[in-house]
Amino acid sequence: MRGRPELFTSYQRDQAPLNTPAKRVSLALLLGGLLVLPFSVTAELTALGATALLSAVAAIGLNLVTGYAGQVSLGHAFFLGLGAYTAAVLSGDPNGRVLGYGLDMAVWLPAAGLLPALVGLLVAPVATRLKGLYLAIVTLGLVFIGEHLFRELRSVTGGPGVGRPAARLELFGVDLGRRSEVLGGYPITREIKLYLVALVVLLVLAVLAKNLARSAVGRAFAAVRDRDLAAEVMGVSLTRHKLIAFTISSFYAGIAGALLPTVTGFIEPGSFNLLLSVQFLAMILIGGVATLSGSLLGAAFVVLLPRLVEELPRFLPFVTSQSTGGILTTFQLQTLLYGVLIVVFLIAEPRGLFGIWVRARNYWRAWPFSY
Amino acid sequence: MAGIGKRRNLVAVAVLALALTACQGGETGGGGEAGDVKFDIGVTADPCPGGNAERGCIYLGVLSDLTEGPFRALAVPITDGQKAFWKRVNDQGGVGGKYDVNIDTYTRDNKYNPQEHVAKYREIEPKILALAQTLGTPPTLAGLPLYKEADIIAAPASWWSGWEFEDVILESGYSYCTESMNGLDWASEEFGKPGRLMAVHYPGDYGGDSAAGVAEWAKANSVTFDAKRHDVQTTPNAQAGNQDAAVEKILGAKPDVVMVATGPAEMAEIVGKAAAQGFKGQFIGSVPTYNPALLKSEAAPAIKALYHFVAPWGPWGSDTPAHKAMQEASGGKAPANDGYTFGWVWSYPLKAVLEKAIQNGDLTRAGVRAAVKQVTVDYEGALPPKSYNGEPNETAMRQAVIAKPDESAPLGSSVLKDFFVGPTAEKFDFSKPCVAAG
Repeated sequence: MRGRPELFTSYQRDQAPLNTPAKRVSLALLLGGLLVLPFSVTAELTALGATALLSAVAAIGLNLVTGYAGQVSLGHAFFLGLGAYTAAVLSGDPNGRVLGYGLDMAVWLPAAGLLPALVGLLVAPVATRLKGLYLAIVTLGLVFIGEHLFRELRSVTGGPGVGRPAARLELFGVDLGRRSEVLGGYPITREIKLYLVALVVLLVLAVLAKNLARSAVGRAFAAVRDRDLAAEVMGVSLTRHKLIAFTISSFYAGIAGALLPTVTGFIEPGSFNLLLSVQFLAMILIGGVATLSGSLLGAAFVVLLPRLVEELPRFLPFVTSQSTGGILTTFQLQTLLYGVLIVVFLIAEPRGLFGIWVRARNYWRAWPFSY
Repeated sequence: MAGIGKRRNLVAVAVLALALTACQGGETGGGGEAGDVKFDIGVTADPCPGGNAERGCIYLGVLSDLTEGPFRALAVPITDGQKAFWKRVNDQGGVGGKYDVNIDTYTRDNKYNPQEHVAKYREIEPKILALAQTLGTPPTLAGLPLYKEADIIAAPASWWSGWEFEDVILESGYSYCTESMNGLDWASEEFGKPGRLMAVHYPGDYGGDSAAGVAEWAKANSVTFDAKRHDVQTTPNAQAGNQDAAVEKILGAKPDVVMVATGPAEMAEIVGKAAAQGFKGQFIGSVPTYNPALLKSEAAPAIKALYHFVAPWGPWGSDTPAHKAMQEASGGKAPANDGYTFGWVWSYPLKAVLEKAIQNGDLTRAGVRAAVKQVTVDYEGALPPKSYNGEPNETAMRQAVIAKPDESAPLGSSVLKDFFVGPTAEKFDFSKPCVAAG
């Protein structure tokens, strides 16, 4: 069907993940760019890139339950924390001051997804009885229970203000966490290795999510989200699909939670708080609800925003990086910006960055006859 | 099909692009030689920003609690004190006459949070030679494996007993552990031997070390100290909200002496609330518990009546060449509290090590680390000379100063008892840290 990229002659081709040449080209360019990136920027920015990729994994997870299935969850930080501590405990030093079993990444990474998934499965029945605001409040409760547990379980988390080392990146006996090593005369820093691990994990999980979203389960999610009564009348089991959504979302959160702290290498129990949940909500709201590319865009945006704000004091005299003097500190400005951006996007562009992208795309596709 | 051919081309282009960038090479690690001194990371032959054009530049990092952590009131003057110290070094011709020192460019806020500390450390590590300050025991412990891996030596803003056993940490003065022993030795001399003791402290290695000193003192002096009832952990107000639980435990156990190792605000709240409910025992504070600003707080009368604190060296107004130089360097303007003095005194070891490394002609990180064992630090009289080579039981400092809150004295504190080593602290066998780290 040369020259007619949008003419589909079979349902299968219509539903294919990359159904137009433009999508294939842009994906290849994106992947190429993502692969080249860590080799052309500083170690600090590479680490930031790894953080963005891993946050995208968690954002995809949240998008599955909140975006696709329409179940608002504020409890994402709790599942991230569960994943982080599962991984840290399984991989930790057996002779350390906190619990550790010294296992390989091949063991701890799946486990860090499975345990939160199991907990998600246990929590999900609540979601089958509640919806909307009430569900949000219940999942909010999860965050507070989690914060308390992480604070008090000192043998696992090290306790507040003390913390513990994050999971060790040792895959099949190969230590990926060392500062740097030389591969064929080219130094491969720890950050580059981390980035590549994050990229692989994101690719695998994003493909799985894409497949899920375009399957019967994905369409059932949308039906539940758009009108639960109608969905039930059509024979879509609400209980079953809410359970699936929560379980899979928690799995994604767990994997991201296990790997995110490895970027710095240390976990403080206070970090899995409500603000973290809100950040992930911001990612999918700013990026675009119920779209995969939106999750990626949103994660990149929210992770890079603080770094951009840190540059602001050089341009705006009333913003300061010090604790005193100036009207706004950079930290206050970051917190403010999350709120402002969520509000602006919800009002002006509910489809998020993805919506802006779609509009730009449609404009140029019809150019020069765009109206 | 044409589609497949196109896709293959794309992959080829992407691979080519990747290969090309890989060939370009990444950041160069720096390095070179200026005169006869070799160096690698964190040192430049170019002058510091605004520095003397004749000299190279040594970049030192600072990780401190600058905005919202529990020790910000102390940490800001500590950092100012260090700035003044290195400015004086630069004004006097630089380190070894060859290098200026810059600590401003890589000063970062760790919020007294180990996770934040490690993140900020990773950010500045590729650009610094050593750390002029790494504040807080738990944050420094979190960073320690990374310092060792990168051959980064560091001056701690902490008095944990375990630093004696770490070759990359340049500690000064006593440890929280011997601090407690000295404080209790003094208290039993001053108020009579206490029948009941209590330790109220932060979790982790600052508070834990202080409490271990109390337990050790109790054992040596045959005083009951039951870890379950008399060892009270309390978290900073940022997490706990208030200190009521700790106050309740003090009122319940009615100890004669309470050793406190918290932040200043938490100490004031504990002393103030306990006194308001009729508590009559004495509080001995670890040195980070005092901040003269507390004398303007509601708790001031209670603090003046019931509280003394231990210090590792003389406060701001002391009469030693080091203190005179510090007062001069501050431009006659007194700082907010004695954090300034701490920052100043903590900087001597790093200066001595850098000078030695330059003298050895090796200012690489490995060379600097090797120089640690070769120096005897001259504190210009603020402390006796100190060496890092030898058994900790021999090299560790044990002497302390007892001070009290005093509105009329400079910086709100005056020395009650000058340098002494209490009998228990003297006898203590320092062959391992008081609290063993993992």
